[in-house]
Amino acid sequence: MKPSHFPLKNLRRGYSTLPSVLPSAIYTDPIRAHEPAISETPELLQIHRRQLDRALRVDQAGEIAANYIYMGQMAILSRDRALKPLIQEMWDQEKKHLAVMDKLQAQHRVRPTVLSEVAKVAGFGLGAVTALMGKEAAMACTEAVETVIGEHYDDQLAELESMPSEHPSLPLLKDVIREFRDDELEHLDIAVEHDAQRAPAHALLSSVVGAGCKVAIELCKRI
Amino acid sequence: MAAPSSARLLKLALPLISEHGFTRVALSRSVLHLPTPHPEPLSDAAVSALFGHGNVARKTLFNAWLEGGIESMQGSTTSASVKEALHARLAYNEPVLEHLPEAFALLAAPESGLPPIDSVPALKHAARVADQACYISGDPSNRLNWYTKRAALMGIYSAAELHQLNSPKTAHSFLDTLLSTSATIDSSVEEVKLFSSYILRSWAGIVRSRDIL
Repeated sequence: MKPSHFPLKNLRRGYSTLPSVLPSAIYTDPIRAHEPAISETPELLQIHRRQLDRALRVDQAGEIAANYIYMGQMAILSRDRALKPLIQEMWDQEKKHLAVMDKLQAQHRVRPTVLSEVAKVAGFGLGAVTALMGKEAAMACTEAVETVIGEHYDDQLAELESMPSEHPSLPLLKDVIREFRDDELEHLDIAVEHDAQRAPAHALLSSVVGAGCKVAIELCKRI
Repeated sequence: MAAPSSARLLKLALPLISEHGFTRVALSRSVLHLPTPHPEPLSDAAVSALFGHGNVARKTLFNAWLEGGIESMQGSTTSASVKEALHARLAYNEPVLEHLPEAFALLAAPESGLPPIDSVPALKHAARVADQACYISGDPSNRLNWYTKRAALMGIYSAAELHQLNSPKTAHSFLDTLLSTSATIDSSVEEVKLFSSYILRSWAGIVRSRDIL
Protein backbone atom coordinates (compact mmCIF):
# COMPACT_ATOMS: atom_id res chain seq x y z
CA MET A 1 0.00 0.00 0.00
CA LYS A 2 1.50 3.32 -1.07
CA PRO A 3 1.74 6.12 1.53
CA SER A 4 -1.44 8.12 0.91
CA HIS A 5 -0.14 11.43 2.23
CA PHE A 6 2.40 11.97 -0.55
CA PRO A 7 1.66 12.02 -4.32
CA LEU A 8 4.44 9.78 -5.58
CA LYS A 9 3.16 9.19 -9.11
CA ASN A 10 3.63 12.81 -10.18
CA LEU A 11 7.19 12.99 -8.86
CA ARG A 12 8.81 9.81 -10.13
CA ARG A 13 11.75 10.50 -12.44
CA GLY A 14 12.16 8.43 -15.58
CA TYR A 15 14.94 5.86 -15.50
CA SER A 16 15.90 6.94 -19.00
CA THR A 17 17.56 10.13 -17.66
CA LEU A 18 21.27 10.01 -18.44
CA PRO A 19 23.60 10.83 -15.50
CA SER A 20 25.45 13.43 -17.57
CA VAL A 21 22.35 15.65 -17.99
CA LEU A 22 21.46 15.71 -14.32
CA PRO A 23 21.60 19.23 -12.81
CA SER A 24 24.01 18.14 -10.08
CA ALA A 25 26.52 16.93 -12.70
CA ILE A 26 27.78 20.51 -13.11
CA TYR A 27 29.08 20.41 -9.54
CA THR A 28 31.19 17.34 -10.19
CA ASP A 29 32.59 18.57 -13.53
CA PRO A 30 35.98 20.24 -12.89
CA ILE A 31 35.95 21.95 -16.32
CA ARG A 32 32.94 24.04 -15.30
CA ALA A 33 34.23 24.91 -11.82
CA HIS A 34 34.52 28.65 -12.52
CA GLU A 35 31.06 29.24 -14.01
CA PRO A 36 29.09 31.87 -12.05
CA ALA A 37 26.23 29.44 -11.46
CA ILE A 38 28.44 27.25 -9.27
CA SER A 39 31.15 29.60 -8.06
CA GLU A 40 29.23 32.72 -7.00
CA THR A 41 26.48 33.45 -4.54
CA PRO A 42 23.86 36.11 -5.31
CA GLU A 43 23.20 39.33 -3.39
CA LEU A 44 20.01 38.61 -1.48
CA LEU A 45 17.80 40.39 0.99
CA GLN A 46 18.59 39.44 4.57
CA ILE A 47 15.42 37.38 4.89
CA HIS A 48 16.21 35.37 1.75
CA ARG A 49 19.87 34.96 2.77
CA ARG A 50 18.72 33.57 6.10
CA GLN A 51 16.30 31.16 4.38
CA LEU A 52 19.03 29.96 1.99
CA ASP A 53 21.48 29.59 4.88
CA ARG A 54 19.10 27.45 6.93
CA ALA A 55 18.02 25.39 3.92
CA LEU A 56 21.53 24.43 2.85
CA ARG A 57 22.67 23.84 6.44
CA VAL A 58 19.90 21.34 7.11
CA ASP A 59 20.24 19.72 3.67
CA GLN A 60 23.94 19.10 4.26
CA ALA A 61 23.24 17.69 7.74
CA GLY A 62 20.50 15.49 6.28
CA GLU A 63 22.82 14.04 3.67
CA ILE A 64 25.46 13.33 6.35
CA ALA A 65 22.84 11.51 8.42
CA ALA A 66 21.55 9.59 5.37
CA ASN A 67 25.08 8.45 4.53
CA TYR A 68 25.58 7.14 8.03
CA ILE A 69 22.15 5.46 8.14
CA TYR A 70 23.09 3.42 5.09
CA MET A 71 26.53 2.79 6.58
CA GLY A 72 24.86 1.42 9.71
CA GLN A 73 22.47 -0.73 7.68
CA MET A 74 25.32 -2.06 5.56
CA ALA A 75 27.36 -2.95 8.67
CA ILE A 76 24.57 -5.35 9.74
CA LEU A 77 23.02 -6.45 6.44
CA SER A 78 26.15 -6.83 4.28
CA ARG A 79 25.66 -10.60 4.21
CA ASP A 80 22.14 -10.36 2.76
CA ARG A 81 22.62 -11.08 -0.97
CA ALA A 82 19.35 -9.44 -2.01
CA LEU A 83 19.63 -6.26 0.04
CA LYS A 84 23.37 -5.58 -0.09
CA PRO A 85 23.48 -4.26 -3.70
CA LEU A 86 20.32 -2.18 -3.11
CA ILE A 87 21.63 -0.56 0.05
CA GLN A 88 25.00 -0.02 -1.65
CA GLU A 89 23.35 1.70 -4.63
CA MET A 90 21.27 3.97 -2.42
CA TRP A 91 24.32 4.74 -0.28
CA ASP A 92 26.37 5.64 -3.39
CA GLN A 93 23.66 8.09 -4.42
CA GLU A 94 23.72 9.68 -0.96
CA LYS A 95 27.51 10.02 -1.19
CA LYS A 96 27.02 11.95 -4.44
CA HIS A 97 24.34 14.11 -2.78
CA LEU A 98 26.70 14.91 0.10
CA ALA A 99 29.55 15.85 -2.24
CA VAL A 100 27.25 18.28 -4.08
CA MET A 101 25.87 19.66 -0.79
CA ASP A 102 29.42 20.32 0.42
CA LYS A 103 30.06 22.34 -2.74
CA LEU A 104 26.79 24.25 -2.36
CA GLN A 105 27.64 25.05 1.27
CA ALA A 106 31.03 26.47 0.24
CA GLN A 107 29.59 28.34 -2.79
CA HIS A 108 26.88 30.11 -0.81
CA ARG A 109 29.12 30.67 2.25
CA VAL A 110 26.75 28.84 4.53
CA ARG A 111 27.75 28.05 8.11
CA PRO A 112 27.62 24.24 8.48
CA THR A 113 25.78 22.78 11.44
CA VAL A 114 27.68 22.17 14.68
CA LEU A 115 25.66 18.95 15.00
CA SER A 116 27.44 17.12 12.13
CA GLU A 117 29.11 14.65 14.52
CA VAL A 118 25.77 14.05 16.27
CA ALA A 119 24.17 13.46 12.85
CA LYS A 120 26.83 10.84 12.09
CA VAL A 121 26.39 8.96 15.37
CA ALA A 122 22.59 9.18 15.34
CA GLY A 123 22.43 8.13 11.67
CA PHE A 124 24.70 5.12 12.16
CA GLY A 125 22.84 4.13 15.32
CA LEU A 126 19.45 4.37 13.63
CA GLY A 127 20.61 2.37 10.60
CA ALA A 128 22.28 -0.34 12.68
CA VAL A 129 19.46 -0.71 15.24
CA THR A 130 16.72 -0.95 12.62
CA ALA A 131 18.86 -3.41 10.60
CA LEU A 132 19.26 -5.56 13.76
CA MET A 133 15.47 -5.59 14.04
CA GLY A 134 15.30 -7.20 10.61
CA LYS A 135 15.40 -6.47 6.89
CA GLU A 136 11.82 -5.20 6.88
CA ALA A 137 12.53 -2.81 9.76
CA ALA A 138 15.59 -1.46 7.92
CA MET A 139 13.43 -0.83 4.87
CA ALA A 140 10.74 0.76 7.09
CA CYS A 141 13.39 3.11 8.50
CA THR A 142 14.43 4.04 4.95
CA GLU A 143 10.78 4.55 4.01
CA ALA A 144 10.12 6.85 7.00
CA VAL A 145 13.32 8.89 6.56
CA GLU A 146 12.86 9.31 2.80
CA THR A 147 9.21 10.34 3.26
CA VAL A 148 10.21 13.14 5.65
CA ILE A 149 13.12 14.20 3.42
CA GLY A 150 10.92 14.18 0.29
CA GLU A 151 8.36 16.46 1.99
CA HIS A 152 11.15 18.65 3.34
CA TYR A 153 12.72 19.13 -0.12
CA ASP A 154 9.26 19.96 -1.48
CA ASP A 155 8.82 22.67 1.18
CA GLN A 156 12.25 24.07 0.27
CA LEU A 157 11.34 24.23 -3.41
CA ALA A 158 8.25 26.26 -2.49
CA GLU A 159 10.43 28.59 -0.38
CA LEU A 160 12.96 29.01 -3.20
CA GLU A 161 10.17 30.08 -5.57
CA SER A 162 9.85 33.30 -3.55
CA MET A 163 13.51 34.23 -4.14
CA PRO A 164 14.64 36.31 -7.10
CA SER A 165 16.09 34.14 -9.86
CA GLU A 166 18.22 36.57 -11.88
CA HIS A 167 21.46 35.02 -10.68
CA PRO A 168 22.01 31.62 -12.39
CA SER A 169 22.89 29.86 -9.11
CA LEU A 170 19.31 29.93 -7.77
CA PRO A 171 17.53 28.22 -10.69
CA LEU A 172 20.36 25.65 -10.64
CA LEU A 173 19.84 25.14 -6.90
CA LYS A 174 16.12 24.52 -7.48
CA ASP A 175 16.97 21.96 -10.18
CA VAL A 176 19.46 20.21 -7.90
CA ILE A 177 16.98 20.04 -5.02
CA ARG A 178 14.31 18.75 -7.40
CA GLU A 179 16.73 16.05 -8.60
CA PHE A 180 17.65 15.07 -5.03
CA ARG A 181 13.99 15.00 -4.00
CA ASP A 182 13.26 12.59 -6.86
CA ASP A 183 16.24 10.43 -5.84
CA GLU A 184 14.95 10.25 -2.26
CA LEU A 185 11.48 9.28 -3.48
CA GLU A 186 13.02 6.51 -5.58
CA HIS A 187 14.65 5.23 -2.39
CA LEU A 188 11.24 5.37 -0.74
CA ASP A 189 9.78 3.30 -3.59
CA ILE A 190 12.60 0.77 -3.29
CA ALA A 191 12.01 0.47 0.45
CA VAL A 192 8.27 -0.07 -0.02
CA GLU A 193 8.89 -2.65 -2.79
CA HIS A 194 11.17 -4.55 -0.39
CA ASP A 195 8.56 -5.14 2.29
CA ALA A 196 9.03 -2.01 4.40
CA GLN A 197 5.37 -2.14 5.36
CA ARG A 198 5.67 -5.71 6.63
CA ALA A 199 8.07 -4.57 9.35
CA PRO A 200 7.00 -5.36 12.91
CA ALA A 201 5.18 -2.37 14.47
CA HIS A 202 5.51 -0.54 11.16
CA ALA A 203 3.23 2.36 12.15
CA LEU A 204 5.03 2.91 15.47
CA LEU A 205 8.48 2.62 13.89
CA SER A 206 7.58 5.01 11.07
CA SER A 207 6.08 7.60 13.38
CA VAL A 208 9.03 7.49 15.83
CA VAL A 209 11.62 7.74 13.03
CA GLY A 210 9.61 10.42 11.22
CA ALA A 211 9.21 12.51 14.38
CA GLY A 212 12.92 12.14 15.14
CA CYS A 213 13.78 13.37 11.65
CA LYS A 214 11.54 16.42 12.00
CA VAL A 215 13.15 17.35 15.34
CA ALA A 216 16.60 16.90 13.80
CA ILE A 217 15.64 19.13 10.85
CA GLU A 218 14.48 21.94 13.18
CA LEU A 219 17.65 21.67 15.28
CA CYS A 220 20.04 21.64 12.33
CA LYS A 221 18.31 24.70 10.79
CA ARG A 222 19.21 26.72 13.84
CA ILE A 223 22.40 25.28 15.37
CA MET B 1 18.97 66.34 -9.44
CA ALA B 2 18.25 63.42 -7.06
CA ALA B 3 19.54 63.76 -3.50
CA PRO B 4 22.58 61.56 -2.84
CA SER B 5 21.76 58.47 -0.78
CA SER B 6 23.16 57.93 2.72
CA ALA B 7 25.08 54.91 1.39
CA ARG B 8 26.80 57.12 -1.19
CA LEU B 9 27.65 59.75 1.41
CA LEU B 10 29.07 57.05 3.69
CA LYS B 11 31.41 55.98 0.89
CA LEU B 12 32.50 59.58 0.36
CA ALA B 13 33.12 60.00 4.11
CA LEU B 14 35.53 57.03 4.32
CA PRO B 15 38.61 58.85 2.92
CA LEU B 16 37.95 61.71 5.40
CA ILE B 17 38.37 59.46 8.44
CA SER B 18 42.15 59.74 8.49
CA GLU B 19 41.82 63.52 8.96
CA HIS B 20 38.63 63.85 11.01
CA GLY B 21 38.34 60.48 12.73
CA PHE B 22 35.14 58.44 13.05
CA THR B 23 33.14 61.57 13.78
CA ARG B 24 29.99 63.33 12.71
CA VAL B 25 32.29 65.99 11.15
CA ALA B 26 33.56 63.41 8.62
CA LEU B 27 29.95 62.58 7.74
CA SER B 28 28.92 66.21 7.44
CA ARG B 29 31.91 67.02 5.16
CA SER B 30 31.18 64.08 2.82
CA VAL B 31 28.89 66.31 0.72
CA LEU B 32 31.87 68.53 -0.12
CA HIS B 33 33.27 65.63 -2.17
CA LEU B 34 30.24 64.97 -4.35
CA PRO B 35 30.77 65.32 -8.12
CA THR B 36 28.74 68.54 -7.76
CA PRO B 37 29.94 69.57 -4.29
CA HIS B 38 27.65 71.24 -1.79
CA PRO B 39 28.74 74.78 -0.82
CA GLU B 40 28.94 73.83 2.85
CA PRO B 41 28.93 70.71 5.06
CA LEU B 42 25.71 69.08 6.22
CA SER B 43 24.08 70.49 9.31
CA ASP B 44 24.01 68.41 12.51
CA ALA B 45 20.26 67.89 12.03
CA ALA B 46 20.86 66.56 8.52
CA VAL B 47 23.58 64.17 9.78
CA SER B 48 21.15 62.95 12.48
CA ALA B 49 18.37 62.50 9.94
CA LEU B 50 20.60 60.52 7.55
CA PHE B 51 22.81 58.52 9.91
CA GLY B 52 21.26 58.67 13.40
CA HIS B 53 21.64 60.79 16.50
CA GLY B 54 24.79 61.15 18.61
CA ASN B 55 27.10 58.13 18.58
CA VAL B 56 24.74 56.10 16.35
CA ALA B 57 26.01 58.10 13.36
CA ARG B 58 29.63 57.44 14.39
CA LYS B 59 28.93 53.70 14.74
CA THR B 60 27.29 53.73 11.28
CA LEU B 61 30.45 55.30 9.85
CA PHE B 62 32.69 52.79 11.66
CA ASN B 63 30.60 49.85 10.43
CA ALA B 64 30.81 51.19 6.86
CA TRP B 65 34.60 51.46 7.27
CA LEU B 66 34.75 47.86 8.59
CA GLU B 67 32.73 46.75 5.55
CA GLY B 68 35.30 48.49 3.35
CA GLY B 69 37.97 46.53 5.20
CA ILE B 70 36.34 43.25 4.22
CA GLU B 71 36.32 44.36 0.56
CA SER B 72 39.98 45.43 0.76
CA MET B 73 41.09 41.90 1.65
CA GLN B 74 40.42 40.66 -1.89
CA GLY B 75 43.20 42.74 -3.40
CA SER B 76 43.73 42.96 -7.15
CA THR B 77 43.86 39.21 -7.82
CA THR B 78 40.90 36.81 -7.92
CA SER B 79 42.39 34.63 -5.22
CA ALA B 80 44.87 35.16 -2.41
CA SER B 81 46.25 33.15 0.46
CA VAL B 82 45.02 33.55 4.02
CA LYS B 83 48.32 35.29 4.84
CA GLU B 84 47.93 37.84 2.01
CA ALA B 85 44.31 38.51 2.95
CA LEU B 86 45.13 39.16 6.62
CA HIS B 87 48.12 41.36 5.72
CA ALA B 88 45.85 43.36 3.39
CA ARG B 89 43.37 43.83 6.23
CA LEU B 90 46.10 45.03 8.61
CA ALA B 91 47.32 47.43 5.91
CA TYR B 92 43.77 48.83 5.62
CA ASN B 93 44.03 49.88 9.30
CA GLU B 94 47.21 51.91 8.81
CA PRO B 95 45.82 55.26 7.55
CA VAL B 96 43.38 55.50 10.49
CA LEU B 97 45.35 53.75 13.23
CA GLU B 98 45.24 56.63 15.70
CA HIS B 99 41.43 56.74 15.55
CA LEU B 100 40.86 52.99 15.97
CA PRO B 101 41.07 52.62 19.78
CA GLU B 102 38.29 55.17 20.24
CA ALA B 103 36.24 53.56 17.45
CA PHE B 104 36.52 50.08 18.98
CA ALA B 105 35.60 51.53 22.38
CA LEU B 106 32.55 53.12 20.76
CA LEU B 107 31.57 49.77 19.30
CA ALA B 108 31.98 48.04 22.67
CA ALA B 109 29.84 50.61 24.50
CA PRO B 110 26.37 49.07 24.86
CA GLU B 111 23.18 50.88 23.85
CA SER B 112 21.74 50.43 27.36
CA GLY B 113 23.38 50.24 30.80
CA LEU B 114 24.12 46.50 31.15
CA PRO B 115 26.41 44.72 30.41
CA PRO B 116 29.18 47.33 30.93
CA ILE B 117 30.99 46.21 27.80
CA ASP B 118 29.44 44.56 24.77
CA SER B 119 32.06 42.25 23.29
CA VAL B 120 29.80 40.85 20.54
CA PRO B 121 30.59 43.52 17.87
CA ALA B 122 34.34 42.96 18.28
CA LEU B 123 33.87 39.19 17.99
CA LYS B 124 31.68 39.70 14.92
CA HIS B 125 34.38 41.88 13.35
CA ALA B 126 37.09 39.24 13.91
CA ALA B 127 34.73 36.47 12.72
CA ARG B 128 33.97 38.34 9.47
CA VAL B 129 37.64 38.92 8.78
CA ALA B 130 38.43 35.24 9.43
CA ASP B 131 35.53 34.05 7.26
CA GLN B 132 36.51 36.39 4.41
CA ALA B 133 40.14 35.22 4.59
CA CYS B 134 38.98 31.58 4.34
CA TYR B 135 36.61 32.39 1.47
CA ILE B 136 39.20 34.32 -0.55
CA SER B 137 41.79 31.55 -0.14
CA GLY B 138 39.26 28.86 -1.16
CA ASP B 139 39.66 27.05 2.14
CA PRO B 140 38.04 23.62 1.81
CA SER B 141 37.37 23.08 5.54
CA ASN B 142 34.05 21.53 6.32
CA ARG B 143 32.10 20.12 9.27
CA LEU B 144 33.78 21.02 12.58
CA ASN B 145 37.03 22.00 10.82
CA TRP B 146 35.10 24.98 9.42
CA TYR B 147 34.71 26.27 12.98
CA THR B 148 38.20 25.39 14.26
CA LYS B 149 39.89 27.03 11.26
CA ARG B 150 37.91 30.24 11.69
CA ALA B 151 38.33 30.28 15.48
CA ALA B 152 42.11 29.99 15.03
CA LEU B 153 42.18 32.82 12.46
CA MET B 154 39.97 34.99 14.69
CA GLY B 155 42.48 34.61 17.51
CA ILE B 156 45.45 35.28 15.23
CA TYR B 157 43.93 38.36 13.58
CA SER B 158 42.64 39.83 16.87
CA ALA B 159 46.07 39.43 18.46
CA ALA B 160 47.79 40.99 15.42
CA GLU B 161 45.35 43.91 15.34
CA LEU B 162 45.82 44.60 19.06
CA HIS B 163 49.59 44.43 18.53
CA GLN B 164 49.24 46.88 15.63
CA LEU B 165 47.48 49.43 17.85
CA ASN B 166 50.49 49.42 20.20
CA SER B 167 53.36 48.77 17.80
CA PRO B 168 52.36 49.39 14.16
CA LYS B 169 55.83 48.79 12.66
CA THR B 170 56.12 45.20 13.93
CA ALA B 171 52.49 44.20 13.31
CA HIS B 172 53.05 42.44 9.98
CA SER B 173 55.99 40.38 11.24
CA PHE B 174 53.98 39.52 14.38
CA LEU B 175 51.16 38.27 12.14
CA ASP B 176 53.65 36.13 10.17
CA THR B 177 54.95 34.63 13.44
CA LEU B 178 51.44 33.78 14.63
CA LEU B 179 50.51 32.20 11.28
CA SER B 180 53.65 30.06 11.16
CA THR B 181 53.14 28.96 14.81
CA SER B 182 49.55 28.03 13.99
CA ALA B 183 50.68 26.04 10.93
CA THR B 184 53.25 24.20 13.09
CA ILE B 185 50.60 23.37 15.68
CA ASP B 186 48.23 22.14 12.94
CA SER B 187 50.85 19.83 11.42
CA SER B 188 51.83 18.53 14.87
CA VAL B 189 48.19 17.73 15.68
CA GLU B 190 47.82 15.91 12.33
CA GLU B 191 50.96 13.86 13.03
CA VAL B 192 49.70 12.94 16.51
CA LYS B 193 46.35 11.88 15.00
CA LEU B 194 48.09 9.74 12.36
CA PHE B 195 50.41 8.10 14.88
CA SER B 196 47.48 7.42 17.24
CA SER B 197 45.55 5.77 14.41
CA TYR B 198 48.54 3.49 13.72
CA ILE B 199 48.71 2.54 17.39
CA LEU B 200 44.94 1.87 17.55
CA ARG B 201 45.11 -0.31 14.42
CA SER B 202 48.01 -2.30 15.78
CA TRP B 203 46.15 -2.87 19.07
CA ALA B 204 43.01 -3.90 17.12
CA GLY B 205 45.15 -6.39 15.20
CA ILE B 206 46.62 -7.79 18.41
CA VAL B 207 43.15 -8.12 20.00
CA ARG B 208 41.81 -9.89 16.90
CA SER B 209 44.78 -12.25 16.70
CA ARG B 210 44.31 -13.23 20.37
CA ASP B 211 40.61 -14.03 19.65
CA ILE B 212 39.52 -11.72 22.47
CA LEU B 213 36.75 -10.24 20.28
